[in-house]
Amino acid sequence: MEKTWNNRAWFLVLPVLLLVAFSAVIPLMTVVNYSVQDTFGNNVFFWAGTEWFEELLSSSRFWQAMIRNLVFSFIILAIEVPLGIFIALNMPKKGWGVPVCLVLMALPLLIPWNVVGTIWQVFGRNDIGLLGYYVNALGIDYNYVQDPYDAWVTVIIMDVWHWTSLVVLLCYAGLVSIPDAFYQAAKIDGASRWAVFRYIQLPKMNRVLLIAVLLRFMDSFMIYTEPFVVTGGGPGNSTTFLSIDLVKTALGQFDLGPAAAMSLVYFLIVLLLSWVFYTVMTNYDAER
Amino acid sequence: MEQVDRSPWWWAVLFLALVVVAWVALQIDFVAITVGFSDPANIRLWGFNLSSNLDFSWMAWTWPTAAFFGTIFLLLCGMAVWEYVSPGGNPRVGVLRFETTRGDRLFLSLLGSAFIHLAWLGLVGPNLWWALALSVVYAVGVFRYV
Repeated sequence: MEKTWNNRAWFLVLPVLLLVAFSAVIPLMTVVNYSVQDTFGNNVFFWAGTEWFEELLSSSRFWQAMIRNLVFSFIILAIEVPLGIFIALNMPKKGWGVPVCLVLMALPLLIPWNVVGTIWQVFGRNDIGLLGYYVNALGIDYNYVQDPYDAWVTVIIMDVWHWTSLVVLLCYAGLVSIPDAFYQAAKIDGASRWAVFRYIQLPKMNRVLLIAVLLRFMDSFMIYTEPFVVTGGGPGNSTTFLSIDLVKTALGQFDLGPAAAMSLVYFLIVLLLSWVFYTVMTNYDAER
Repeated sequence: MEQVDRSPWWWAVLFLALVVVAWVALQIDFVAITVGFSDPANIRLWGFNLSSNLDFSWMAWTWPTAAFFGTIFLLLCGMAVWEYVSPGGNPRVGVLRFETTRGDRLFLSLLGSAFIHLAWLGLVGPNLWWALALSVVYAVGVFRYV
């Protein structure tokens, strides 16, 4: 078939280009400008060069937030991915249970992030919250407002509750695409349940799992709203992730220069992850 | 078989003419403001107040950052010209083992250069000329092998 390459189509992209320029490029340029200057307000700026970047790269506060963020991402991936696979494997493949399960699984994904945060903030309170009250009634000293360990547990359980469904739905989509012939062949060979999972289901799910892992990693790396609503980054700085730290610097302290430098470093990391994600997705589509 | 249909030259001229007309219109507006032909507050174009809405001083521009973005813009223009001269993006499979176009290679070069500069700043010091030189070498490597 003849395929015509026509660069005139690029002109159709111009409106989007304008939109992106105003919503993303101009703010980004401003952030770059701020990152090399200092200001005391009133739109008066002083040249600072690379000072904010040097300060940021040697700041323990930044690296601690980064480590917290990476640990958080690692923990939620370690829980959500196996749990998501387990639930997807046990979901019904036909009958009335399918739509029921799919709707139940989709529900947490439909709730806005700040609402999820509010739900868990109230849920975890040990005076009026169902979870906090009964955990304390069982004799476990649980108080996410004062204890960093409890705060972490709350934020992790909240994220698992909110986002495991995404992994489940992706894995389920991978599982239902496996033709029955594979299972029939396995049955004839007398394959065990584990062998079916290891040699049929897991290889068929590996691409969607990769997408799930990348998507959840990126999302958790940029997490802001839920922990901010539940713990506000505390107690102390124990749940201050990169985005919360950034907002504290930019809007709490109004240190525009250091905040801009931090935004740029954060932006570069997210850009790198997005590129990896995009590359994996496009190569997957090309292979299909 | 793929058939390459290059856009006719007058598309580029039309586009450039539009940019020039917009630019001249803005300049006329600024001249009108400067020499006092009219009150800046009253100059409106489709409800857009040209004098206040086009004041970009809030972006806190500096010469080094302007030069930085100018370089990026020139690089993109250069890529556009390259694409016009040799359309298709020159896709190939390099050391990363997946297909990349020259746009991908520019992106990788710029992103990698940013990380090289940050690493230099964090590990070596504030003199970034060597980081720039390293980035150029890296970009050449990316365009050659990726």
